[in-house]
Amino acid sequence: MFLEINQIKKHFGEGDSRVEVLKGIDVEIEKGEICVLLGPSGSGKSTLLNIIGGIDSADSGYIAINGEKTADMNEKKLTQYRRKHLGYIFQMYNLIPNLNIKENIEVGAYLSDNPLDVDEILHTLGLYEHRHKLPNQLSGGQQQRTAIGRAIVKNPDILLCDEPTGALDYNTSKEILKLIEDINKKYGNTVVMVTHNDAIKNMADRVIKLRDGVIRKNYLNENKISAAELDW
Amino acid sequence: MRNPLIKRIPKELKGDFAKYIVLFTFITVMVGFISGFLVASGSMTQAYDESFEKYHIEDGNFELLYQADEALEEVFEQEKINLYENFYYDKETKDFESTIRIFQNREEVNLVCVMEGELPAKEHEIAIDRMYAENNGLEVGDVLEIGDKSLTTTGLVALSDYSALYESNSDMMFDALKFGVAVVTKECFDTFGEGGLHYSYSWNYDERPADDMEAKEKAEELLELIVEKAVITNFNPQYANQAIQFTGNDLGRDGMVMAALLYIIVVIIAFIFAITTINTITKEAMVIGTLRASGYTRGELLIHYLTMPILITIVSALLGNILGYTVFKDIAADIYYQSYSLPTYVTIWNADAFVKTTVIPVLLMLGINFVILANKLKLSPLKFIRRDLNPRQKKKAFRLNTRIGIMKRFRLRIIFQNMPNYIMIIVGIFLANVILLLGVAFPALLDKYQTDIASNMLAEYQYVLKAPLETENEGAEKYCVTTLETVDDKLRSEQVTVMGIAPESEFVDISFGKEEVYISDSYAEKFSLGKGDTLVMQAEYEDKEYQFTVAGVYHYPAGIAVFMEQEYFNEVFEYEAEYFNGYFASTEITDIEEKYIATKITEDDLTKTSRQLTHSLGSMMDMILVLGVVMYMMIIYLLTKIIIEKNAQSISMTKILGYTNGEISGLYVMATSLVVIGALALTIPLADRVMEYVCIWMLSEYSGWIPYYAPITAYLKMIMLGVVSYAIIAFTQYRKVKRIPMDMALKNVE
Repeated sequence: MFLEINQIKKHFGEGDSRVEVLKGIDVEIEKGEICVLLGPSGSGKSTLLNIIGGIDSADSGYIAINGEKTADMNEKKLTQYRRKHLGYIFQMYNLIPNLNIKENIEVGAYLSDNPLDVDEILHTLGLYEHRHKLPNQLSGGQQQRTAIGRAIVKNPDILLCDEPTGALDYNTSKEILKLIEDINKKYGNTVVMVTHNDAIKNMADRVIKLRDGVIRKNYLNENKISAAELDW
Repeated sequence: MRNPLIKRIPKELKGDFAKYIVLFTFITVMVGFISGFLVASGSMTQAYDESFEKYHIEDGNFELLYQADEALEEVFEQEKINLYENFYYDKETKDFESTIRIFQNREEVNLVCVMEGELPAKEHEIAIDRMYAENNGLEVGDVLEIGDKSLTTTGLVALSDYSALYESNSDMMFDALKFGVAVVTKECFDTFGEGGLHYSYSWNYDERPADDMEAKEKAEELLELIVEKAVITNFNPQYANQAIQFTGNDLGRDGMVMAALLYIIVVIIAFIFAITTINTITKEAMVIGTLRASGYTRGELLIHYLTMPILITIVSALLGNILGYTVFKDIAADIYYQSYSLPTYVTIWNADAFVKTTVIPVLLMLGINFVILANKLKLSPLKFIRRDLNPRQKKKAFRLNTRIGIMKRFRLRIIFQNMPNYIMIIVGIFLANVILLLGVAFPALLDKYQTDIASNMLAEYQYVLKAPLETENEGAEKYCVTTLETVDDKLRSEQVTVMGIAPESEFVDISFGKEEVYISDSYAEKFSLGKGDTLVMQAEYEDKEYQFTVAGVYHYPAGIAVFMEQEYFNEVFEYEAEYFNGYFASTEITDIEEKYIATKITEDDLTKTSRQLTHSLGSMMDMILVLGVVMYMMIIYLLTKIIIEKNAQSISMTKILGYTNGEISGLYVMATSLVVIGALALTIPLADRVMEYVCIWMLSEYSGWIPYYAPITAYLKMIMLGVVSYAIIAFTQYRKVKRIPMDMALKNVE
């Protein structure tokens, strides 16, 4: 098993305001799968993604990638874990505002011993002619493509996407989803995508539905369609 | 209804407590320190100014070779000028090395202020200058051995005509360690006998001159009258008497420098406040946009963002003033009392100090922040909501060579992004370096000057005689000496020692050509003179002018001097060919009676300036050093803190990407480190130039010349202080970077 999520529990707050966000999550994801985490606000899907990404810690349980457990890692090792295995894409892009587009992608490339070619990625993402611009001079879709470029340039094992289309319009959202799908095909990365858009589940290999911190459904999607065919 | 935004102020204070406490403390201490100085100097200036009337300070004094006769006294009567005997003896103390000038207790002019104890009433009693006593560890009740006399100290006093203890008016500086003044009873005074008695007289006009120019005219007329009737050896009108005037001038000058320093610091702090507030406005852009869209006016928001800087400035300035009147005033007064023999003073309310330390800083803070913040807040609500806050934003980021590694480019981008902060850091480092250089270089400058003088003295013993007498002293060499004055528009001319040197001199290594004149390098530097330039000087007490062409410059740091051949000297000053009036000697001359010796110059006499300056400014220099370091650290800390806070989200994101804390600090802290190192490298030479001008300006008021000098060790010390101070700041910033959580990138959306 490539990515193992075992009995993950997490709470926020104490006393009267204590909320159990994750109540024992067990999931196994194969290498190269596109896994979509679905659920309403407060279901715990982003918290789970952050725990997988090593930017938040679980109260109990563990995450293991190729048998390597994140719970056993100190801060230094967790950093190396993120550096080696993960690429992150956020709803609000989180680009570094004072670096231009190419430099934002290079920031990702710097972390890898064998990064992909930055110019090739810029061409693939349709950003080459914008490479000298600053993030705030681009549209939301272009900024998200830059964030994808930054995430994939180090060719990570796992691509974690937190509502990657949450701030985008319909057409741009589909473009971005198609891009993620193409990358998955081309480089074979495992994709874990959090969304509240039910339609996106149709492009996934695996669908996990969360509600109130527990898994309601976890199944392999046998009727998978291309991202280009998605409609909502 | 009261503006509800006011409720944010305590939260803002709590949220950024470190920044506000640093600024508050710094302004409070600065204002306290400067207010203390202004209050002390204001009160002392008042006491000093009043002392002219209170203690009947003379309008001038002169000294004669012999006691004045009736003819001279008649001249004074005719001119309606009051003449007072103010005879004195200069005596060496036995228990420690010093000269004490003993006067008979004064009853009519230059009255004495008793600071502790009482005036002498018996023959074996003496009252001595307070500062001289403190410097030499003397107290009331101590017995002073002077010649063959043992005198008991009955009081510590301030002589109103010796607020600065100048032994001679031509001295570059007074020396309160090795020179003091004292008063004794008439009975005691008479027992010293005639040997060594100085026939000094003071005068006061019935009708006092309105200003210094009139005083100068009157003094010049009086000098002509005295010269006709007596042999004059010294003439010091009050306006030119350093022992009386120096203190007043220095007190005024200190206040000016202190206020200027405060304003510069306030301007820097105002910019720091403006930069931090702009950072807050950027962070809160969406809220501001929403408030503006909801009907809040630009003025209401401007007042809101101006409140903290103004509040901090007002409260710290008021507290600073309270500290100024209580704690710092005494510190400043102690510093003045370490330098001057001032009479007792009473603390007076100083409106000028309040304006300088409170009103002007608050106005500066308000003005600078108002202009910058009003400009920032003039954008439309929509632009705030869209976070489009830079109207001059370029379409593209300027390009950097992609052959430069990404980390280096990243650092360069950080530097360009934070340019206003870095400019302020550079300005702050520059100013701190000027202050640091003053603190580290000034003592070194005085040390070097003292060493230089000691190793370049013309002779171990240099004598000026009242008459050309022969000596059996082996190796003693005759020379001639006189004093001329520079001719310029200044109220007080500079005295120039003109020496006629024997051919093949053992003491002065100059090969004179015919009628050639050399000048000391002090003279050359102070008056910007060089080979080929013309010197114009005039005789001290007669209307005669002399002109010479400079043939060369001779290394003699001890004074403003001119050298020529003895033969040429006698020709110029119309003496006989064999005339001489002094000796250079390697050992003390013992076969000439003291009464025939006008002056004996040894190393002690020549190094009194550096000794006194070290004594009076030593503790001040330490304080200046601390001020420089604190200012340096405060400016860098606050501005780097802003840079880290401003980029917190990017830092958080780079952590998520997998960058280590070391790598992130390598970007954000290293960028600042590069600027700081660059600023140090750039501003130390600049600070050096500024200090050179400051020193020239400071020292130009003194007679003589101390050349500017800052040793390489001073720069190394500055670099070391800079690097160590910065290392502490960099460490705090590293910890700050480390503490930025990764979820910040998740919570804050652009």
